[in-house]
Amino acid sequence: MGLNLPNNNDSLYYVANGDHGQYAFVYIQDVIDAFVASYIGPGKICEGVLVEDAGYWAQRGMQELSYDTLHSHKAHEYIVPPSLTMFLPRDFVNYVKFTWSDSKGVEHTILPARVTSNPTDIGYDATTDAYSFTGNVLDTDETSDTLTNYSTINTTNASDDYDWSDPLHELNRGQRYGMDPEFSNVNGTFHIDYKTGKVHFSSNLNGMTVVIKYISDGLNNTDHDTNGPAIHKFAEEALMKYIVYNCLAARAATPPHLLAGFKKELFAEKRKAKLRLSNFKLEEFAQILRGKSKQIKH
Amino acid sequence: MAVSIDTVYQRVLAIANKEQRGYITPQEFNLLANQAQLEVFNSYFYKVSGNSRTDADTVPFDEKNTSEGDIKQFLKEKLAPFTTIAAVVGGTTFPANYMVGSIFANGQEANRLDRNTIDNLNKSSRHAAFRSHPYYAASQTNGEDIEVYVAGTQVTANVSCEVITKPTAVEWDYVVVNGKALYNSGGNTTNFALHESEETPLVYMILELAGIVINKPGLAQAAGQKSTNILTEQKQ
Repeated sequence: MGLNLPNNNDSLYYVANGDHGQYAFVYIQDVIDAFVASYIGPGKICEGVLVEDAGYWAQRGMQELSYDTLHSHKAHEYIVPPSLTMFLPRDFVNYVKFTWSDSKGVEHTILPARVTSNPTDIGYDATTDAYSFTGNVLDTDETSDTLTNYSTINTTNASDDYDWSDPLHELNRGQRYGMDPEFSNVNGTFHIDYKTGKVHFSSNLNGMTVVIKYISDGLNNTDHDTNGPAIHKFAEEALMKYIVYNCLAARAATPPHLLAGFKKELFAEKRKAKLRLSNFKLEEFAQILRGKSKQIKH
Repeated sequence: MAVSIDTVYQRVLAIANKEQRGYITPQEFNLLANQAQLEVFNSYFYKVSGNSRTDADTVPFDEKNTSEGDIKQFLKEKLAPFTTIAAVVGGTTFPANYMVGSIFANGQEANRLDRNTIDNLNKSSRHAAFRSHPYYAASQTNGEDIEVYVAGTQVTANVSCEVITKPTAVEWDYVVVNGKALYNSGGNTTNFALHESEETPLVYMILELAGIVINKPGLAQAAGQKSTNILTEQKQ
């Protein structure tokens, strides 16, 4: 019998609603339970550590690993409305990239608009040089003139005028001499207003299909089922070491040499997890380089 | 297995009578035996809370994990005959008891934490997000003893505790035959309920008390020294 195989048997797995791919992941609760059984107790290294503390550090570890070690599986697809704004995903922490997908499904990277922002438009009338209030609170407008003006700039429509199989940035490789590629590409721009939790797109993206690829903190990961957050098995040991190190670091009497040892182990495990998850396959790598006319051996 | 009160009495008499140091009457013995039994019994609680031998770095790991090397475990065994499990009324109020041992909630042993730590834990949603062990603190409400929490929420059902009762009073019962008190194994005789290993400490403790009662400082001093030696050995 397999250990923790998803679903009770093959016939329940190989169906439409089976927990497909779940075996690559381990639930955080299982990691915590294993940690408590292995590390906490009389004569063990984390003797006296509260189970609740272990749970807390497991969550922190999951977050930290989500930010820079684990793969991001999160992506949402929208049609940009006439208001040119979208809400950020509910579990959004930061974006990986924004793209718009053309009629062939090829994604084109949308760059952020660095030269604008959405400051709070406060209730001030320049003609009368007076502030306006509601009650005793200064009036504010969520959408500023700055961003409205930027959004209404007439830009060339995003173009998919090349073969669908071309690499994504083919049109943006400095073909127009003397122009700044950041501002001269045809893919449009976006601006994230963190204050209101909205994304603002440039007007040429109106009605286009936009994809946001983003990272969350891994604590609301219900991609597989509802048993709570899960972590890839390649990073299980890294999470375990994160919990140990931080439980010991939070204790007053931990010997410094012990702490230093676990810090090294944590670093090594994170690096190992990252390497494993980077998923380099030699043959795929060689094939890509062949496309670049590179002579390599493998 | 209890300690025979007659054996203890005979040993006490034998040592006390050596070199005509004195005689302890059955009435005196019964009084002193109960006093000694309570002293030995109460000392368990100080040892359980104060003995850190199992936790010290100087104790080898092997020894910590064997029952004969684990003093706390040994003391628990000594207390076992006096310990029962009873429900905590409403999850807050102890049943009638002499002492209370461990607290359990939903079958798990609860950790005792100080009030501020519990408040801090209860305020942290992160600490309650995953499976949690129960923890408790003294209650802040009049008439209640404790408050037990699991994952930030107070638990009022399925809370139980170890209730430790006082050992029953011992009595060396006797019948007078030809002006002499003879041991009556039936009747009202009640043996010591303490662990068998307490026989020697009981003898010396009774002798120490008897030395005071019959005004024989030498006896009290010698027995007291013996008691101290035994205590020191147990702590090593």
